[in-house]
Amino acid sequence: MPRRQSAPHRRPIRLPEDSEEVIMSTPDGPAFQPGPRPADGREEDLARLLARVARGDERAFEAVYEQLARPVYGLARKVVRDPAQSEEVAQEVLLEVWRTASRFDATRGSALTWAMTIAHRRAIDRVRSVSAATQREQKAGAAEPPDAEAVEDTVAARLEAERVRRCLDSLTELQRESVTLAYYGGYTYPQVAALLGTALTAIKTRIRDGLIRLRDCLGVS
Amino acid sequence: MRLRHSDLHGLTGVYALDALAGPELDRFTQHLGGCPGCEHEVRGFRETATQLALAVAATPPAHFRPRVLAAVAVTRQLPPEVPAARPPRARPSWRAWGGWFPRLATASTVVLAAGAIVAAVLLGIRQSHIQQELDQAQARSRALAAVLAAPDARLATAPVNTGGVLTVLASPGRHEAVVTTAGLPALTGSKVYQLWFVAGTSARSAGLLPRPVDGRTAPVLATGVVRGEVVALTVEPAGGTRKPTTRPIVAVPVR
Repeated sequence: MPRRQSAPHRRPIRLPEDSEEVIMSTPDGPAFQPGPRPADGREEDLARLLARVARGDERAFEAVYEQLARPVYGLARKVVRDPAQSEEVAQEVLLEVWRTASRFDATRGSALTWAMTIAHRRAIDRVRSVSAATQREQKAGAAEPPDAEAVEDTVAARLEAERVRRCLDSLTELQRESVTLAYYGGYTYPQVAALLGTALTAIKTRIRDGLIRLRDCLGVS
Repeated sequence: MRLRHSDLHGLTGVYALDALAGPELDRFTQHLGGCPGCEHEVRGFRETATQLALAVAATPPAHFRPRVLAAVAVTRQLPPEVPAARPPRARPSWRAWGGWFPRLATASTVVLAAGAIVAAVLLGIRQSHIQQELDQAQARSRALAAVLAAPDARLATAPVNTGGVLTVLASPGRHEAVVTTAGLPALTGSKVYQLWFVAGTSARSAGLLPRPVDGRTAPVLATGVVRGEVVALTVEPAGGTRKPTTRPIVAVPVR
């Protein structure tokens, strides 16, 4: 039996920890508030879908695609930048999810994180290879085509992004820069240290401290 | 210089963000297997990084979905890891995370080869001269497998103007390409789909596509391709032609 307040008026009033956060609520409906992701019912579904995908179920893969395509493609774009190469990377990642679904082990972490770990590594592999670096430099001057699809971004995704942005803002500048250069920039930590003109040891510590603070802010268990 | 345990533990953050490389990465990966505390922390950091990824989610272009689904349709999956198949002394458990990301080319290659062999064998036994056909099929699947296993083999998929997708796996080193299609519209009358290698303005035939089964055509092995050429598809009269008589409905460069 899930724990639930049966009568709305008995629900204890929770004040937002961050007074800047806007709590949206209706008199009878549940309050929307930032915090841990909504119970990750979606996550469970993804793990179940992966089990079906592992058995060769292409319909299940289509459902997996619906959940993963945007995060995977978005991360590839963020790290790789070049649209054509990002697409290649994203396709490789989704194919990898299809191919290795049987190797997903729910005891090691969530299905979404399993997939996004693949995605990040693939994107990193791409930007760290020499040829890709050359191509990136060559294309650096070219203007990127307008991202028409970005308009379709759902309200939920925008709220999600806003929540992460606020948590990133709660880090020190050095922590934030180290984490984002490493994750979104795809740089190794010695490269991050060079970019920020900081000692190697300090960067290791900043990244770890930053992640701890981010983890707690985002409510990751 | 040897790193102390506490130094290694401090690498959880950079490891979780894939910001660790070279010998330090190897050392830390080894360390993880015997450090449950590190494993736990890395797991939390990875979940945190996932939130960073979700924050930059973006909708891929419209042609992306059919392309991915077409690639999936021709890619065999890895079998699950069963305990009996494991070596007695398992690798440190975090190594298994590494095991999730084997190189795409190698494995999908083997997998495609297996699929090609099955397809070839199935096609073969429908014929009357079973043994002869099987021999041919085996020779053909060996040829296909050789392309699939070529280290320079590169997979490219492109949408076809009239619908469906064309997938080309080309090995410029072997001058060979394997072509499959999915979802091409059925042709009326006695028309056929013909493949071409195009260099500049000259085109030479690379063979006809077989009739589709469940919307997909069996792999066609085309030889003589050169890096920089383009694999193109046209609709031609029955039996094919020496030179294309219609405009290509898809063109995929061989890199």
